[in-house]
Amino acid sequence: MKKVHLVGLVIIAVAIGFIISVAGDYSSYETFERAKKVPEKDVQIVGYLVTDKEMYYDPVKDPNYFTFYMRDKDSSVHKVILYNSKPRDFERSEQLVVTGRMQGDEFVAKSILMKCPSKYTDNELVLSKEAPAG
Amino acid sequence: MEVHYLGEHLWAGRLGQIAVYSSLIFSLAAAIAFFRREYGRSEQAGWLQAARIAYLVHFIAVIAIAAILFVIIQNHWFEYYYAWAHSSRELPKEYLLSCFWEGQEGSFLLWMFWNAVLGLVVLWRRPPAFCGVLGVVALVQFFLSSMLLGIYVFGYKIGSTPFALLRHEMQDAPIFQRADYLSFIADGNGLNPLLQNYWMVIHPPVLFLGFAASLLPFAWAAHGLVSRNFTAWAKPVLPWALFAAAALGTGIMMGGAWAYESLTFGGYWAWDPVENASLVPWLLLIAGIHTNVVFNHTGRSLRATFLFYLMGFALVLYSTFLTRSGILGDTSVHAFTDLGMSGQLLIYMASISLPALALLAWHWRRIPTVQQEEEAYSREFWIFVGTLILLLSSIQITFSTSIPVWNKIFGTNWAPPAEPIEHYNKWQLPIAIVILLLSASGLLLRYRKSDVRKFWRQMAWFSGISAVLAGLLEWYFRFANAAAILLLFASLFGVVVCGFLILDHFRRRRTISGGSVAHFGFALLLLGVLISSAKKEVISVNRGPMSLGSSFSEEQNRTNVLLIKGMPVTMHRYVVTYLGDSVAPPNYYYKVLWERYDTASGAVREQFVLLPNAQINPRMGLIANPDTRHYWYKDLYTHVTSVPDKTKQAQRKEPVFTEHTVAIGDTIRLSRATLTVEGIGSAEKREGQQWEEGDLPVEARITIKMDDGRWHSARPVQLIRDLRIFYLDEHLPELGLTIRLARVLPDERKLIIGVEEREPEHDFIVLTAILFPYINLVWLGTIFTILGFVLALLQRRRQYAVAS
Repeated sequence: MKKVHLVGLVIIAVAIGFIISVAGDYSSYETFERAKKVPEKDVQIVGYLVTDKEMYYDPVKDPNYFTFYMRDKDSSVHKVILYNSKPRDFERSEQLVVTGRMQGDEFVAKSILMKCPSKYTDNELVLSKEAPAG
Repeated sequence: MEVHYLGEHLWAGRLGQIAVYSSLIFSLAAAIAFFRREYGRSEQAGWLQAARIAYLVHFIAVIAIAAILFVIIQNHWFEYYYAWAHSSRELPKEYLLSCFWEGQEGSFLLWMFWNAVLGLVVLWRRPPAFCGVLGVVALVQFFLSSMLLGIYVFGYKIGSTPFALLRHEMQDAPIFQRADYLSFIADGNGLNPLLQNYWMVIHPPVLFLGFAASLLPFAWAAHGLVSRNFTAWAKPVLPWALFAAAALGTGIMMGGAWAYESLTFGGYWAWDPVENASLVPWLLLIAGIHTNVVFNHTGRSLRATFLFYLMGFALVLYSTFLTRSGILGDTSVHAFTDLGMSGQLLIYMASISLPALALLAWHWRRIPTVQQEEEAYSREFWIFVGTLILLLSSIQITFSTSIPVWNKIFGTNWAPPAEPIEHYNKWQLPIAIVILLLSASGLLLRYRKSDVRKFWRQMAWFSGISAVLAGLLEWYFRFANAAAILLLFASLFGVVVCGFLILDHFRRRRTISGGSVAHFGFALLLLGVLISSAKKEVISVNRGPMSLGSSFSEEQNRTNVLLIKGMPVTMHRYVVTYLGDSVAPPNYYYKVLWERYDTASGAVREQFVLLPNAQINPRMGLIANPDTRHYWYKDLYTHVTSVPDKTKQAQRKEPVFTEHTVAIGDTIRLSRATLTVEGIGSAEKREGQQWEEGDLPVEARITIKMDDGRWHSARPVQLIRDLRIFYLDEHLPELGLTIRLARVLPDERKLIIGVEEREPEHDFIVLTAILFPYINLVWLGTIFTILGFVLALLQRRRQYAVAS
């Protein structure tokens, strides 16, 4: 057997090992209910901001405490806590992906990804208030 | 009824559209003519002439499209959607260029521009088989031109034109029924504030130059396959491949610098899909360059060279598809929006890369190889192993980045790794260690056969030196992590070996090879990455006086600190005070004073002001820009994460006063403070207040002792003008107090002081501050790596010129 073949085999073995070992990194998107069953594992939940419930961030009291309510795909609503500052432009997010784990009935988020499809290119025509004379 | 619109500059768009069509037609004509010239049966000189003319017309058309689009943006002709959507009037001139490539159409145009320029260089220098190469370039230009068409064929939209009119894009808006609608369009939508940064002016052009340049090795390899002259292309291609690697590498690292300087994720690399998509082609290009050099020296690894160069550009196309089809969706912070062109992008990707790869498979057995096995102690063997590892690295990054694609194809619902940085590092860290060890020790070997004893003697020496250095650095930094220590050793090994080779060649007055410089830079870069990321320290751990503190202290996320105006907070070795903000629309600058005291004497050792700024953007909220203090051995990086909402404070209600009748020297007890009336007198002129002739201003002099020990003073004024009384209240929002001199009672020798108490309104910022130690090694390593590519390019070109 040639050395190159040997090296090739080793690399293929490593690649297979890699796929097996990282398979655990690829989670699927969960819901709050399923996240409750695995409180020791980080999960990702896709959902929406509940706009009629309180969103709390008072930096003077604690700059690292932000809470809001999120509705997941199964329409269950839970409080989400982020021990960090409130992400900018949070109110405008249309969809959220939170990563973290459940603690009792609350979800403690490590990170939040916001999706704002109309992030900047919302097609809003800004018209001048008055027509110029003439 | 046809409306005749006023004030539009329709000629520009028409001219632009003609230029797009010309670019499309003449690129196709040039491709056909170049291919006929190269592969046609008979030697027809006419085809070359035709090809050259067609290519030049195409080139002029591309320049014309770019120039017209730029004129439209420059002049704020908002009747054009592109100008309206991506620029605004108040935008500084230097950023108008960024508007040009903010949109997809503009970035395709930028890509086309570089392709056209590089093609012209090839046409001018006329390397062997240039017609075959230019045919491929012209074909790619044909596909890119079609991306700018914006026409409907059988209900399918082909391309998206940068010359679309606003009134066509937004037909439903009633304003467009007026002929003079343009006079109502006050301003454009503006440029995304995140892109208003000088890096964003230079990063995209360099990155796209890299993308464009990586087409050339692809084109040469494709020509080698089509012409069945499998070996001749390998020498002339090398300088172009080196140029592509230098340009793409610079572009990627400029993107990192932009992220570090203007984004707030606190680093230069985040394994974001968009970053990965440009890194993978670079890795493949690097692999291709190495096997190419091996082939030029030993005749081996030709198949691998074909594969790497073809895959390199195929991955450029794939990354274009990933970032522009909208498929990345919720996995990337900065994926481009979908223009509904994913089908067209797929066709572009498939029709360029699939035929080339199919041809490679078809000719695989015909591509010459060396039957005899390579020596174990030969450079070519270990370079080949290294390129396989680069391939493995590319596969891993591509696989993980493509999760949304797998979901689409297989209908699965996988989420991308929850912790992307840890996920990628788990694999790329060991790969980096192996690559570093190979890239250094490979330089100690010779092609074909090496002196084994000399090799091991050198290895022993260099490993010994590196181990000692690694031990010292570990003692100093304390990584206390096996993988980090291995990476530390491997990168030091690279620095030591390449540094030795460079010095040795310098001493013996021999040419310093670009390879050793590039490998030296790469090792330095990874050393910097290791130290600056493993030892990065968030110093803004919350010790604010008002914080609830202890209960959640186990949470690592707590990276923000509250800075109330005028109240010093200790961070790391600094005493940090927020001094206040200043506004230069649309930016707010937050002035933060940093002081470092000598622990023994208490004298100020160091004092500086950082101005992290933010745009309070009505559409995007708070957009923070970091400010960084650069030392040679570390960076102090700060940005604001939250500021009080000033618009709410402005809507303050009329104060409601509680009145206290007091004599001079009396005290008034409040809930959080005690006021002492010290005296009364005529008020002197103050800044911002204009006494008129005949005014009778009277002021009360009051000292305030807060319960927390702070002292303040207040001087409310009562002013009699034309028999009317005006109050100039002392307003102290940060104490929650408003004080009024309500009445003076001369007969009783008393005063009536009105006091309103409310919750103190703090002027504050929330700040994140991070120390990045030795981050300059990252930039220094990058510069050496690029320098190495340029050196190698010049050396290979000289060799090639001598040989031919």
